[in-house]
Amino acid sequence: MAKVLMKGNEAMALAAIKAGLDAFYGYPITPQNELPEYLSKQMPLHGRAFVQAESEVAAINMVYGAAGAGARVMTSSSSPGIALKQEGLTYIAGAELPAVIINVMRGGPGLGGIQPSQADYKQITRGGGNGDYYLYSLAPESLQEAVDLIKESFDIADYFRNPVMIAVDGLIGQMMEPVDFEREVPKWDLKPKTWAADGNRKNRKKNIINSLYLDPNDLENHNLKLKAKYDEMRDKHQRYEMINMENAEIVIVAFGSTSRISRTAIELLKEEGINCGIIRPITIYPFPQNAFNEIPESVKNILVVEMNLGQMVDDVKLHVQGRLPVHFYGRVGGIVPEAEEISDQVKKIVGGTYE
Amino acid sequence: MKRITIIAGHYGSGKSEISVNLAIDKKIDYIVDLDIINPYFRSRALQGLFDEHGIHLVESTVKGMLNSDMPYVSGEGRIPFVNKDITAIYDLGGTENGAKILIQFMDYVTDFEEIDFLATINIFRPETATKKDILHTITLLEAQTQLKVTGLINNTNLIEETTEQDVINGEKILLEVSKELQVPILYTVVEQHKEFTYPFVGERINLNRYVARKWTLGGK
Repeated sequence: MAKVLMKGNEAMALAAIKAGLDAFYGYPITPQNELPEYLSKQMPLHGRAFVQAESEVAAINMVYGAAGAGARVMTSSSSPGIALKQEGLTYIAGAELPAVIINVMRGGPGLGGIQPSQADYKQITRGGGNGDYYLYSLAPESLQEAVDLIKESFDIADYFRNPVMIAVDGLIGQMMEPVDFEREVPKWDLKPKTWAADGNRKNRKKNIINSLYLDPNDLENHNLKLKAKYDEMRDKHQRYEMINMENAEIVIVAFGSTSRISRTAIELLKEEGINCGIIRPITIYPFPQNAFNEIPESVKNILVVEMNLGQMVDDVKLHVQGRLPVHFYGRVGGIVPEAEEISDQVKKIVGGTYE
Repeated sequence: MKRITIIAGHYGSGKSEISVNLAIDKKIDYIVDLDIINPYFRSRALQGLFDEHGIHLVESTVKGMLNSDMPYVSGEGRIPFVNKDITAIYDLGGTENGAKILIQFMDYVTDFEEIDFLATINIFRPETATKKDILHTITLLEAQTQLKVTGLINNTNLIEETTEQDVINGEKILLEVSKELQVPILYTVVEQHKEFTYPFVGERINLNRYVARKWTLGGK
């Protein structure tokens, strides 16, 4: 199929339909409203379920129920709404159910603002709710990448029986870009959902969807089983892109919109004879630690660029392991950094005037 | 150009960019941003640019609350409908839901001949890809506003990837719509830096992108 011009939120919604979305449950919040609006029109046309719930808490618990019944299910929200969904998310992870959650981030804390932000990094990458669990979390930088990753994300959720978070900011949700919806994406090797509480009891004993383990030994075993999944994510499914690394003297680490802007920044720097690379995490959980073993000898500094106050810096430092100085530049409040701001920071570091 | 031009269309169909370009090119008195659907990429963010060109911006009742997500518009929005000395462009929010807001002004219209109600169409938007889809979109716009669409804007584009043939293909489909509804294609939009020489139907708008910031264009 030829390309079409889509708004980010619509493109993500259509990608989910292409992935076989059976049911969507959501509650409105800016800047992701076009996503449920689009699905409210399209899902009935495809004979599938769309429910605008009475709250975010209701929506995530509907996701929990539908996922338990074996449906391909999704919800979307923006930062404060995602915070409300954390209880449901930990139950879904605890009960080992697949679901896709789209977070179109806005500024915080509290109600914050409605403009773009990446300030949910810690909440997303540390689990967010109670207990030992993680979300496989993808951070696309363009609408095409968002569409491709969402199409694949339902397979990833099914494979791990674990929620997958699509982490974008308001800019990705709101921008227009040409997209091809028919691009091939990797197919995962999926087993039938024999665990689902789907009402079909003919040939099996009853399935129970549960996250309660009162016997400490049972809960420990359950926790270790979950940990094995997270270990597999870390060992086999880190995703990242390394850009312009050859002979780079400095490397920017940035995901989503900020990596996109950093691409422009390194072009500006090239014109001034400064060779700057980019490590672009595509998974923010698992953190792409392998990338930091591939940094060439020429690199003398690292600059983390985010639309928050440095939430990813700890992860970068952990994997740079003191080998290189790690600097930070960020804008908050919904302000998106300009490419020139980033290139200026790089110049300060390279020129030794960075404070 | 009629005294009042109202620009409607789907999300991302180009309403705000076209409104801003027309307001500047045609030295319009008022630009009325009626987008209460979505607080991103609105013409009201360009106050400085309008000041520079002597264009009066009408937006929310609380001036400068650019990022408030409140669905209200200043009572000033009515002025061009009652003061016949003022030329105006009304920039609507996306879809028929964004157009609904116009109803409140209809009581003040004394002469519909002074008003153009234009549908902005890009055939690369899946909702307006075919003649049938476009007619459906126009039906929804008319039903919500109780206004008849009086003209079409061919804004066929894939941003930087647009070719001249794409715009011609858009024109072909829009000419069929034009014939069916008996309304003209009033404008064809071409990005200013594109060197398309085809004699497109209607007046050509050589588009400057003011609303979308430069780093949201192209990209990867």
